[in-house]
Amino acid sequence: MANEELIYRITRAVYGRLGAGADERTVEGLVTDIYRAIEPVAVAASGTTRAESGRAGDGLQSDAGAVPLSAATASREEGSAERMVISVFGVDRPGIVAAVAQILAEAECSIADINQTVVQGKFAMVLIANSARARQSAAELKERFRREGERLGVRIYAQREDLFNAMHRI
Amino acid sequence: MEYTQAEILQTVRMTEMEHLDVRTVTLGLSLRDCACASIEETAARIGEKIERTAARLVTTVDEIGDEIGLRIANKRISITPVSLIAGGAHSVGDYVTLAHAIDEAAKRVGVDFVGGYSALVHKGITRGESLFLDSIPEALATTERLCASVNAATTRAGINMDVVRRVGEIIKDAAERTRDRGGIACAKFVCFANAVEDNPFMAGAFHGVGEGEAVINVGVSGPGVVNHALRHAPKDLPLHEMAELIKKLSFKLARAGELVGREAARRLGLQFGIIDLSLAPTPVLGDSVGEIIEAFGFERAGAPGTTAALALLTDAVKKGGAMASSAVGGMSGAFIPVSEDAAMIDAVRVGALTIEKLEAWTSVCSVGLDMVAVPGSTPAETIAAIIADEMAIGVVNHKTTAVRIIPVPGREVGDIVEFGGLLGSALVMPVNGFACADFIRRGGRIPAPIHSLRN
Repeated sequence: MANEELIYRITRAVYGRLGAGADERTVEGLVTDIYRAIEPVAVAASGTTRAESGRAGDGLQSDAGAVPLSAATASREEGSAERMVISVFGVDRPGIVAAVAQILAEAECSIADINQTVVQGKFAMVLIANSARARQSAAELKERFRREGERLGVRIYAQREDLFNAMHRI
Repeated sequence: MEYTQAEILQTVRMTEMEHLDVRTVTLGLSLRDCACASIEETAARIGEKIERTAARLVTTVDEIGDEIGLRIANKRISITPVSLIAGGAHSVGDYVTLAHAIDEAAKRVGVDFVGGYSALVHKGITRGESLFLDSIPEALATTERLCASVNAATTRAGINMDVVRRVGEIIKDAAERTRDRGGIACAKFVCFANAVEDNPFMAGAFHGVGEGEAVINVGVSGPGVVNHALRHAPKDLPLHEMAELIKKLSFKLARAGELVGREAARRLGLQFGIIDLSLAPTPVLGDSVGEIIEAFGFERAGAPGTTAALALLTDAVKKGGAMASSAVGGMSGAFIPVSEDAAMIDAVRVGALTIEKLEAWTSVCSVGLDMVAVPGSTPAETIAAIIADEMAIGVVNHKTTAVRIIPVPGREVGDIVEFGGLLGSALVMPVNGFACADFIRRGGRIPAPIHSLRN
């Protein structure tokens, strides 16, 4: 799974550099080469540890074998367009986390990070989800969250991660 | 977690509770290749080009807004000043034909305003531009989404007082033609000094001649955000620290706007132009520049000291924006459209805010006298003279100034006029009644100030 994810990210990066009109076979060749060059590192980094790495972009272009590359880490520094920050606020009750997770699972979004607290009965959760392979559009997902939020009596907001990166990181 | 809960909470609060929005994504579109020998052909080409380029604008921008979780209030188009591309226009009617073609194209692509029914006549005026000026009242009265502007002065050229005089008459005429709607045509017309070429905000947007084929410009706004922060700051916080607070917030606002702009440009296959970070109020409670000013420690907007506070505010907004992005342009600062700002309307009602104080504000805010309603009986010469004052402030201070004034037909001081929507409701303000007609009738030009000779 982690490898699939990495290959997908490399493909995105290559298209990002060459533009959407790039020749498919060239892209495929490049992705295969890059992936082969970093495979051992990628496998090692796909565990739970979050290796520090250079800036996104640098990693893919330089001699890949020498860079401890983790595509996931690289994209994290930039704030990814493919990750969503889902924030949930309201009065605590059983099933909030489950309901949000259920919606994400149905939409084929995986959970990258989750942080939940309850202070004096007030529920607050921030969840980072990976929507790279999401089956639903942002609008559909938001509508589902809105309806679910109404049912649970909480407010659920879904926003792209790069908004937070843009606003809070120099 | 890569972001602290406080950071996430702040963003959510800004977007959901404090009305942080991208006020407009404006597609700047060059129409210079549309000028043809006949007016019918020019109109057809203009319509076709607008529809072709902007076909996906509204849906794409809405999609981005949904994904990022940021409201994008308006989708607009700014075009090359129509007076420059009116190939084959030989009469007022010909220009109005173009106005209708543009308005209809705008309607078809679903944008709410299209700006650029404009003329740049700060120094001289051509025969065509003269006809164009005559066409403005009818064009505005018979279209829905079209916005017009005239650049009547620059620091380099001085003030074209012949144009200023005519603009006074244009405004009166436009008001009269929309008498039944409170003179709303005037809300779609701006007279500028030092107009900027990449302004995304209406009614003064046009796509300058120095611009490229098509660009995406973004206007970000967020008076609610700044207002909230200032109101929660300690009462005795020194002013330089207030400035610091505003600067940091405007950095964040600008960053959010740039994200939207770049994404929109990428998806539409266009170039990203600029982001204009301007605190632009809406009639919604709390989303007010007047309230921000009051939060500095004033009973009402318009009290002594408010010009200084506004100067601090405008400057801090610009500094935060400049740090956030190297594509900051347009006006970037604070707008003071009276009818669109609940606290300013209130200040007018209690007599704290007058046209004279607003005029002082315009020397430090980012634009000028904006959405000011005056009695319908105000003479054209007085309106021209108010414009002349404003032009002078802009010309001498190397800044953009503008006037958007509405002499509401049949209304007197204290009456309330509803314009609806973003334009809000205006309270008719008193105007200094002493005559100035002889000054205006002189016409001619006010020479450029000495500091225009900088080469």
